[in-house]
Amino acid sequence: MTDIQQTNDMGNLRVRARGIHKSFGDHHVLRGIDLDVAAGSTSVLIGPSGSGKTTILRSLNVLERPDSGTIRIDHVEVDFGTLPDKGASARQQIAALRAQSGMVFQAHNLFPHKTVIQNVIEGPVQVQKRPLDEAVDEAKALLDQVGLSDKADQYPFQLSGGQQQRVGIARALALKPQVMLFDEPTSALDPELVGEVLSVIKDLAAEGWTTVLVTHEIRFAEHVADQVLFLDEGVVVERGTSAQVIGDPREERTQQFLKRILDPA
Amino acid sequence: MRHAVRLLVLAFVGLVVLPAGSAAATTTHVSQADDRPVVRVGTEGVYPPFSFHDAKTDKLTGFDIEVIKAVAKKAGWRLEFVETTFDAIFTALEARRIDVIANQVTFNPERDAKYGLGTTYTYSRGVIVVKKGTKGIKTLKDIKGKTAAESITTSWADVARKAGAKIQAVEGFSQAAALVVQGRADLLINDNIAALDYLNTTGKDDIEIVGNAGDEVSEQVLAFRKGDPRLEESNKALAELKADGTLAKISEKYFKTDVTVENAGDVDVSGGRAARSDTEVIQDAAWPMLKKALLVTIPITIISFAFGLILAVAAALARISGSRVLSAIAKAYISIIRGTPLLVQLFIIFLGLPEVGIKFSPWTSAILALSLNVGGYAAEVVRSAILSVPKGQFEAASTVGMGYWQTYRRIIFPQAARTAVPPLSNTLISLLKDTSLLAVVTVTELTRQAQFAAANSSAYLPLYCVAALYYWVMCVGLSSVQGRLETRLNRFVAR
Repeated sequence: MTDIQQTNDMGNLRVRARGIHKSFGDHHVLRGIDLDVAAGSTSVLIGPSGSGKTTILRSLNVLERPDSGTIRIDHVEVDFGTLPDKGASARQQIAALRAQSGMVFQAHNLFPHKTVIQNVIEGPVQVQKRPLDEAVDEAKALLDQVGLSDKADQYPFQLSGGQQQRVGIARALALKPQVMLFDEPTSALDPELVGEVLSVIKDLAAEGWTTVLVTHEIRFAEHVADQVLFLDEGVVVERGTSAQVIGDPREERTQQFLKRILDPA
Repeated sequence: MRHAVRLLVLAFVGLVVLPAGSAAATTTHVSQADDRPVVRVGTEGVYPPFSFHDAKTDKLTGFDIEVIKAVAKKAGWRLEFVETTFDAIFTALEARRIDVIANQVTFNPERDAKYGLGTTYTYSRGVIVVKKGTKGIKTLKDIKGKTAAESITTSWADVARKAGAKIQAVEGFSQAAALVVQGRADLLINDNIAALDYLNTTGKDDIEIVGNAGDEVSEQVLAFRKGDPRLEESNKALAELKADGTLAKISEKYFKTDVTVENAGDVDVSGGRAARSDTEVIQDAAWPMLKKALLVTIPITIISFAFGLILAVAAALARISGSRVLSAIAKAYISIIRGTPLLVQLFIIFLGLPEVGIKFSPWTSAILALSLNVGGYAAEVVRSAILSVPKGQFEAASTVGMGYWQTYRRIIFPQAARTAVPPLSNTLISLLKDTSLLAVVTVTELTRQAQFAAANSSAYLPLYCVAALYYWVMCVGLSSVQGRLETRLNRFVAR
């Protein structure tokens, strides 16, 4: 599993994680994860529930704080093994790393008390302190891109699940992150709404956004992924192109998982 | 967590420092600002004809008030009047909230040992007053085992106690008279002048004076703290006022006789304030009461609620913070506030703290006590409202890069408000009504103003109904604001 070269310069890499460990109490969820994501590529994390795939994604955004290991996104690197528990320096480092990625949640987590466009401009205006009219113009373009330009002044509760998820994507894009993180973005959706969200993600990948995606949509992963990682019990069991990992898995655990998920019953 | 600490400190500074500026509003300035030394006069304001509010002008007046004003003129003092119940008046003197009591303080050896008592300015007799038609009570010998309605720290209460009567504690003469009329107490012992004035001004004949409470003439004096040099100044002034006839003139005005010398003729108070019908009483009292509602009750409610909310948010955040120390402090605070009566909290802050050198003005004491109270009650409301906001909202806020305060201010509080508004409205309405307790810290608010008017007329039912109406109207107003707020906060929720 250490077939990846340790390099000091990132080269074409946008994300580099090394030796990520994370425990929740006695439960050792991540047991030394390495992850490399090339700029402009799409990586898909698959694996059974409890395998740690969501935890590694959340670690990249520091929604979960790894116990040890380093994460570097673009030029920002944090070593969680030596990061102080609290204090201004730790907060600043975490904020700097977090600012490199945009997160799309399974349950969209839109701000219910703000309209669609207010959701999208919240980060740019309040956090990045960009001028309001500029942020609004960009937000309108983003909403157009995800096909929701007519919903700008609606509240989230007035939208369908797929529309809500697409607003969530626009909100993350508005921060102009180095990498887009998707945490099972279609799992909470009715089946007929899955397509509209996946098509937006596919467009983003095609446009050259660096993307890390956790999903159970294996066929979609196979189609869109440059790299597929299969995780189980907190370790990366197998990684490679989608043709390698999904088309012709070498590891037995990968084969079993794919069989279960592709031919249920 | 470090934010929570900062907030707590800010909240306390705000509570203690900011309202201090408004403290001046509680005292009545008798003259314009000048260089004369200020002497604070403690008086009941509900003890006609000695100390009461004129029904028409609402100004504090009465025999004792005019005497102390005359003394001040001679002695070169500037007066500030502080109105409080008699039972709190000596405590206030010791706590240095007032410098002198002008309220028919009767001389006795116990008081003489503790306080600096001046020369006599009133000679009077104690009388026994009963409900009209009561049989078998004529002299002190008859009151053994009976119930006497008295302010418990008065000399009249001592007289009744020594004669073997049980004491029913009241706040002032008119309340005592009401208990006797209603048959809740058998008798009261008080100054004959006060009793005559009651009969004259209320126009009631349901109580009667049946006899003297002993043979002794009682002497009323000004009371200072022991060793206060102003005692001598006042004695000198009184002597001059006696000599130049000023005292006699004031007495004649109220009593048609000179009660400032021994063995004066019979007191006649009929020339004083005329009896008024209930309608007239209401007409006279309605505006002053409304003024107190608008200028005292409502502002204190709003200010206390604002500070209380800050405290509540601080306590709620402290409990959520995960810091054991902060959480324990918040828990203890909430437990103490909810586990003790507001009245006791008011007494501790207003009367207790000065004993350890911490003295707040009446308004500050009131706002401090009420804010702490609201904070304790609202903290759990705020906490559960914050916890009702899904965890995903905190995460989404982090993801867009928000810090602690930004997250709470822009994302969490607006959503928590939806959950918190209905229970917080209850707290606010309770607070509004709790301000009626402030009479004990000498803040004259709506209820206290009603008491003044009642002391002047004994028209309890109509006056307190008017007070109740005012409170009710204010609460209805608050409820309608609550309704509008809820509609606004619900605009983003699917129905």
